Amino acid sequence: MRKIFLTGILTWGLAQIGWSQVTFPRNGVYDERPGLYAFTNATLIVDSKTTLEGATLLIRNGRIEAVGKTVSIPAGTVVADLKGKRIYPALVDIDSDYGMPELRRTPPAGGRGVPQYDSNKKGAFNWNQAIQPETDAGTIFKANVAQANELRKLGFGAVVTHPHDGIARGNSVLVTLADDRENNVVIRDRVSGHYSFSKGTSTQTYPNSPMGAVALLRQTYYDADWYKKAGKTTESNLSLDAFNQLQTVPSVFEVPDKLGVLRADKIGEEFGIQYIIKSAGDEYQRIEEVKATGASLIVPLNFPQAYDVEDVWDADNVTLAELKHWEMAPANPAMLAKAGVPFALTTANLKNKTDFWANLRKAIDYGLTEQQALAALTTTPAQLLKIDNEVGSLKPGLLANFIITSDNLFSADNVVLENWIRGKQYVYTDKNAADLRGTYNLTIGDRSNLKLNITGKPGKPDYAVMADTVKLTPKVALTNDLISLQLQLDKKQPGTTRLTGYRDGTTLKGEGEMPDGKLVKWTAVLAQPFSSTAIAKADTAKKTAPQFGKLLYPFIGMGNLEKPKAQTLLIRNATVWTNEKDGVMPNADVLVQNGKIAQVGKSLAAPAGAQVIDGTGKHLTNGIIDEHSHIALYSINEGGQTSSAEVRMSDVINSEDINIYRQLAGGVTTSQLLHGSANSIGGQSAIVKLKWGEAPQEMLVKGADGFIKFALGENVKQANWGDGVRIRFPQTRMGVEQVYFDHFTRAREYDSAWKAYNSMNAKEKAKAVPPRRDVELDALAEILNKKRFITCHSYVQSEINMLMKVADSLGFKVNTFTHILEGYKVADKMAKHGVGGSTFSDWWAYKMEVKDAIPYNAALMARAGVLVSINSDDAEMARRLNQEAAKAVEYGAMSEEDAWKMVTLNPAKLLHLDSKLGSIRAGKDADLVLWNNNPLAIYARPEKTIIDGTVYFDLQDEDRKRDDLQKERARLIQKMLSAKTGGASTQRPTFRRQRMWHCEDVEGVMAEGEEREAEK
Amino acid sequence: MGQNANYKIMKKLTLSILLLASLSGFAQNPAPAGPQTRAIALTGATIHVGNGQVINNGVILFDKGIITAVGDGNTPTNGAEVINVAGKHVYPSIISPASTVGLQEISAVRATVDFQETGYINPNIRSLIAYNTDSEVIPTIRNNGLLLTQVMPMGGVISGSSSVVQSDAWNWEDAVLKADDGIWLTWPGYFARSFDFEDFSVSLKKSEQRQESINALKATFSDAVAYAALKNPAPKNLKFESMKGLFDGTKNLYIRADYGKDIIEAIKFAKQMGIRKPVIVGGEDAGRVIDFLKENNVAVILGPMHRLPNLQDEDVYLPYKLPGMLQKAGIAVSLSYDGAYWRTRNLPFQAGTAAGFGGIDKEDALKMITSTTAKIMGIDNVVGTLEKGKHATLVVSKGDLLDMRTNVIEHAYIQGRHINLDDKHKRLYHMYREKYGQPDLGK
Repeated sequence: MRKIFLTGILTWGLAQIGWSQVTFPRNGVYDERPGLYAFTNATLIVDSKTTLEGATLLIRNGRIEAVGKTVSIPAGTVVADLKGKRIYPALVDIDSDYGMPELRRTPPAGGRGVPQYDSNKKGAFNWNQAIQPETDAGTIFKANVAQANELRKLGFGAVVTHPHDGIARGNSVLVTLADDRENNVVIRDRVSGHYSFSKGTSTQTYPNSPMGAVALLRQTYYDADWYKKAGKTTESNLSLDAFNQLQTVPSVFEVPDKLGVLRADKIGEEFGIQYIIKSAGDEYQRIEEVKATGASLIVPLNFPQAYDVEDVWDADNVTLAELKHWEMAPANPAMLAKAGVPFALTTANLKNKTDFWANLRKAIDYGLTEQQALAALTTTPAQLLKIDNEVGSLKPGLLANFIITSDNLFSADNVVLENWIRGKQYVYTDKNAADLRGTYNLTIGDRSNLKLNITGKPGKPDYAVMADTVKLTPKVALTNDLISLQLQLDKKQPGTTRLTGYRDGTTLKGEGEMPDGKLVKWTAVLAQPFSSTAIAKADTAKKTAPQFGKLLYPFIGMGNLEKPKAQTLLIRNATVWTNEKDGVMPNADVLVQNGKIAQVGKSLAAPAGAQVIDGTGKHLTNGIIDEHSHIALYSINEGGQTSSAEVRMSDVINSEDINIYRQLAGGVTTSQLLHGSANSIGGQSAIVKLKWGEAPQEMLVKGADGFIKFALGENVKQANWGDGVRIRFPQTRMGVEQVYFDHFTRAREYDSAWKAYNSMNAKEKAKAVPPRRDVELDALAEILNKKRFITCHSYVQSEINMLMKVADSLGFKVNTFTHILEGYKVADKMAKHGVGGSTFSDWWAYKMEVKDAIPYNAALMARAGVLVSINSDDAEMARRLNQEAAKAVEYGAMSEEDAWKMVTLNPAKLLHLDSKLGSIRAGKDADLVLWNNNPLAIYARPEKTIIDGTVYFDLQDEDRKRDDLQKERARLIQKMLSAKTGGASTQRPTFRRQRMWHCEDVEGVMAEGEEREAEK
Repeated sequence: MGQNANYKIMKKLTLSILLLASLSGFAQNPAPAGPQTRAIALTGATIHVGNGQVINNGVILFDKGIITAVGDGNTPTNGAEVINVAGKHVYPSIISPASTVGLQEISAVRATVDFQETGYINPNIRSLIAYNTDSEVIPTIRNNGLLLTQVMPMGGVISGSSSVVQSDAWNWEDAVLKADDGIWLTWPGYFARSFDFEDFSVSLKKSEQRQESINALKATFSDAVAYAALKNPAPKNLKFESMKGLFDGTKNLYIRADYGKDIIEAIKFAKQMGIRKPVIVGGEDAGRVIDFLKENNVAVILGPMHRLPNLQDEDVYLPYKLPGMLQKAGIAVSLSYDGAYWRTRNLPFQAGTAAGFGGIDKEDALKMITSTTAKIMGIDNVVGTLEKGKHATLVVSKGDLLDMRTNVIEHAYIQGRHINLDDKHKRLYHMYREKYGQPDLGK
C-alpha cells in the first residue's frame, strides 16, 4: 500500500511539470517550470562510437540542449555532479507492443472447422480480415504504468509500438516510456508499416497457410497499386488507401524463423521493397543466406531454456537441433555482427522482460562487443525507422532520453540509477547514496563479538553478520539513511532481535529490542571499507569464452558440417540401368564431372583427381523422381477457397526437414512438392532436388516448367470432413466442373484484357487504366497459354473424363493425373488426350472413391499408351519407391526396365525434365544411385545417392555420421546437466512431433482428424 | 502334366464365367472351396518349411486337409493327384496378426467400420462375430499368400478378444481356426499426445493421468483374478468370465505398447496379475528393452515396418532393422500391419525388407510371418510350418514370396481345399484388359 501511495504521489508530482499540454484547460494554478538541468563531470556516451570523459549534458524542456566538455551552464539550472557515473542514451525498442490492446482470439462463429468466407470487420475495409493496414497505432495507444516502468527499469526510454496482429498490421507509433498523458508520450505516429505471415486474430478461413499469407500480401500490393491508379472509381477501400500510405515509411516484416527471413525478402524483391525483418533468433543457422538478403534485422534475445535431460530415454525426445540451438542461440547476435548483418535488438519474444539484461550479457559473453550491443539498442534501431532525430543518441535537439548508471552499462555490477525520459527523472537507486559496503564492528547491547559485512552492488548491497565464525543472514531494509535490521542472534535463545537506526558518516547506530523485550543500543563502526579488486579478479578468471559445437547444414541431426560439393566420380564395373536404348548394361562405367554425366561405357579412364568407386556386383541407376511429394514443406493446403491458384509451394520449402535425408537414403533425388487436394484448384508446385544442406532456393530445379495442382473428388467436395463443412462450393462433382469453367472463363477474359493493354503504345497506355493484376488469374492464364501445367489429383473415371473435356474445350491439355486410381477405366481416353498418369502402386479401400482401385492400374494404363509413373504422396513410402515400382512387375507383369522407368524416366517426362533427368546418358545431370542389388528387389538398398555429381548420402559414411551425432548429443547433454546443477532453469522435454503431410491435410480443418488413418 | 493342363482350362473357364458376372454387374467373391476330396502331391518345388529349412526339388503330400509327407524328390506320392510345380516355391500360409480385415470395408464410410466398440473395458467383446467373410478385401490378401488372419478388435483400454480365421469361408463359424485366442489391452502411455490448436502441432508430453489409469487397470485385473476363483458367481460378470483364460494360460494378453518404459511396466503388470501369456504388440521401441524381453520370455508382434523413425535423430533404417535385431537376440518376433487392413497384403514384403536391411536370412525373415506367429498364437500345432500332421494351408508362388516381383500366387490351399484365387482386382483387370485388347500376362 505504502509503495503504491508513493508512486501515486510521484506520478502526480511529475505530471505537474508537464509541458506542451497547452490546449488543455487547467484545474489549479499553473506550475510551468524552467526544466533546465545540467549533469556535469560524467562519462558521457553520446553514441556507441563517441565517449566523452568528464563532460556535461545540458537539457531544457525535455530536449538536449548541449553536450560536451565546455558547456556553459546558464543561470537557473539544476546541476547534478555525476563524477564517477555514466550517462548513456536511453535504449530504444522498435518492435514493441507497449500500450497496445491485448489481442483476443475469438473462436470462429460457426464453431471450429466451419468456414468463414467474409471478414467480420464491418466497414469499408479490405475483404480479408488479416489485412488491416488501416490499424493506426497512434489512435489505439494507451500509456501503461506497469509496462512502462518494467521497460524503464531496464534502461529503455522510448519504443516504437504496434499491434502484432494480422498479415498487414498497419502503422506504428513512437512513444516515450514516461508516465504521462498520451499527448505528452506520443512523439511521432505512422513511423513504420508492419507485416507478417500470421493472420493473427482473424477468424476468416482464408488464408490458412503461410503460402496463402504470402499470396494474400502480394495480391494486396497489386490491389493497392490498382486502387491508386483506378480503383477509386470502382470501390471505396479504406484499407487499400491506408496500405498506400504505409508505403512512404519503412516496412517491417515479422517472420517465424530463419527461412521466414528469406521468404519475406523474396516478397520485398517483387515490389522493390527492402524490408526490415523482425527475426526469430535462429538466423545464425543460415547466416550466409540471411546476409545475402541485404535486410537489416530486429533480433530478439529469447534464448531457449535448458531441457530436462536426466533420464536417458526420455531425453531422446529432445532433438540434436534443439540441443544445439540451446547452446548456440546466445551466439546469434555475435554471429550476425561478425557477418556484417545490421541489426537492432528487441525485448520482443522474451517471456519475462526481466531476462533482458541476463540474456544480453550472455550474448556479449558469446562475442557480441559492448559497442555493437549499444548500437543495436540505440543508434541502429533509431536509424532503421528514421527516428534518429528524436532518440538513440545524446545529440543536441534530440529528446532528453538518457540513463545514469553506476558503471559500464554492460557490466554485471552495473546499476541503472536513473532513467530520464523527455527530461523527466525516474529514480531507481539514489545516485547520491553513500557506498556502505565494508566490514563493520557490530555491537548490540553487551554483545560485541559481531561483524557486519556489507558487500554486493552499491545500489543492491548484500548483508551478513558474523557471530565469531557463525554466519547469520539478517533481514535489512535501507532507505536513504534509515536502516532497519532483524536477525536470529542466538540459537540457544531463539527469537528475532530487531534493530532500527540511521547512518551517521561511516557509522550505523540506533536502538533495538531483544527477543525477550529488553531494549538495547547498537552500533556498527566501519573497520575496513569494501575492496572490489579481489572479486573483480575472481570474475575475470572465471570468464572464458564459451565453447560451442559446429554449425550443421541443415541445422538438424545428420546435417553436414559443410555443404557437400560436386566431385569427379568414376563408377566402375556396375550394372548400369541406362533407361536408354542400351537398356541395362552389365559391367559398365559411368564418369561424372562438373555435376553432369560425362561418359557412359566400358573401361573408362579415370581423369586426374577422380574418385573411383568400385561398382562390382552393384547396380547404378538414376535417382528416383517422386512426382507427388509433400516433404520439406511447412504447409500443404491453402484450403480457404475453392481456388488457390495464387499460392506457391516454393514459398514454404523447409530445407531442414529430416525427411530429405531419409529419402536420399531411399534413393530419391528429385521431388515435385505439390499443394494438397483440399480444393479444386490448388497451388503452384515446387520441383526440388534433395540437396541436403542447401537453402530452399538452391534446392529448386532451375529452369523447370511451372506446374499447378488441381484436385477432384471427395476432398474437393469435402465429403469426409464432417457436417460443419457443407458450405464451400462445390459440394458435388457436378459443381467441380463449373468451378473450372468459371475460373477459366474469367482467366481468359483477364488474359485478353492484359494482352489488349500490353499491345497499346505508350501514348495509349498513358491514357488507359491497366487491368487489375490478379495473382490467381495469372496462374490460370498461364495454363491457357501453355506456360503452366496441371497435375490433377483424381480417382474416379467420371471426373477424370470431365477435366479432359474441360481442357479440350478450352484448348489446353491436362499434363498429369495423379493418384488416378480409376485411370485404367479411361486409359484409352487419357492416351488420346495425351495426359500422363502418376499413380499409387496398390492403395485402395480407404474411402469410397477408391473402392475400385486396382494394383493393375499402372500396367493397364501403360499398355494403353499412357505415360505412367508411380508416386508416393507419403514421406514414408517415398523411401521405398523402388519397391512400389516393382509391384508393376507383380501386378500386370511389366518388364523390370519398364517398371523402373515408372519411378525415374517417366516422372522426368511428366515434369518436362527428361532432357536433363531420368536416364544415364552423357550430358545429363549426374543424379545417380548405387544399389547393392537389383533396384527392384525387396533386398535392394542404396549405398550412395548422388545429385549433380555431389554425394548426398553415403552408406559407408552413415555410421560415422551417426556416431558423431551421438557424441555431439552426449556433449550437449553433459553441458546441459552441469548448467542445471549451476542453477539454470530447465524445461521438460516436449517431443514436437513433426506432422507428416498428405494431400488432404488442411491446417485447422483436418487437425481434429490427426489420429485417424492418414488418407490419401 | 495332364492335371496341370486341366487346371489351366479350369482356371480359364472360371475366369470367363466370372468375367461375365462382373460385366453384368453381379461381381461377388468366388464361392469358398469344397473339402479336399483326394490326396494331392505338389512335386518339383522349392519347399520353404517355415522353420528355416528349405527343400529343393521337394515333394509335399496332403490328404483330407492334413499334410501327410514333406520330403525331397524321392518322396513317394502314393497315388495322389500329382501337380508338378517345378521351379515354383511352396510356403506355409502367411499368418497376418493384429488385422482388421473383415471388420472394415471402406474405412472412411462409418457404416462399414466394425472394429471399435464404445467404452473402455470391453474384454467380453468378440471380434469374430463381426468378421465379414464376404469382404472384398479378403480375396485380395489371399493373392499375396495370406490365408490366415487374426481378427482383432481395437479401441478403448481393453478392446475385446481376437480370433484366428481362415480367409475362405461361408461364414464366421466356418472361418474360425482358433476362437478367442487372446484379449487386447492398450497400455496407458508414458507419453500422451497433445494437440496445439495455435500452431497445429502435435507434441508428446509425460502423461499426467497415467498412474490413475494403471491403478484402474490393476483394480480391474485384481477383481478379475478374484472372480475367477468363485465357483458360482452371482451375478455373473461377462467381462470377468471372458478374462478367465488369461489366468489359466488359455488366452494371450496382447498388450499394445511402444515406448521402452511402457513395455517394461506393461510386462511387469501382467506378471504381477498372474497373466500367463503376455505379448507385446507395436513394440516400436523394443530395441531398447531386448534384455528385458529375453529375461521375461516375451514375444513381440511388431507394428507396421512401413513407418518412419519416431525420432528425428533416430537411425533412418531403424524400423527396417528392428525385426532382425530382436530375432537375432532370441526374441520371438512376428510382423503385422496393426489394423491397416487392406495393406496387410504387403506383409511378405515387410519380411523381405527385414531380411534386406536387418542382416538376417530370408528363411529367418519368413518365420516372422509364419511359424513364430503361429507359436505366439498357440496354433503352431496345426499351422505355421509345412510339416507332417499339420494343416495343408499353404501357397505355391511363382518365386520368392518375399519379393514383389515374384510374389505371384498360383495355388492356395486351406486345409487342403483348393482356393479360387479370383478377386475383385483381377476381375476388373481382365475386364479392362479385354476392353483394350491387351495380352493376359498373369497375376
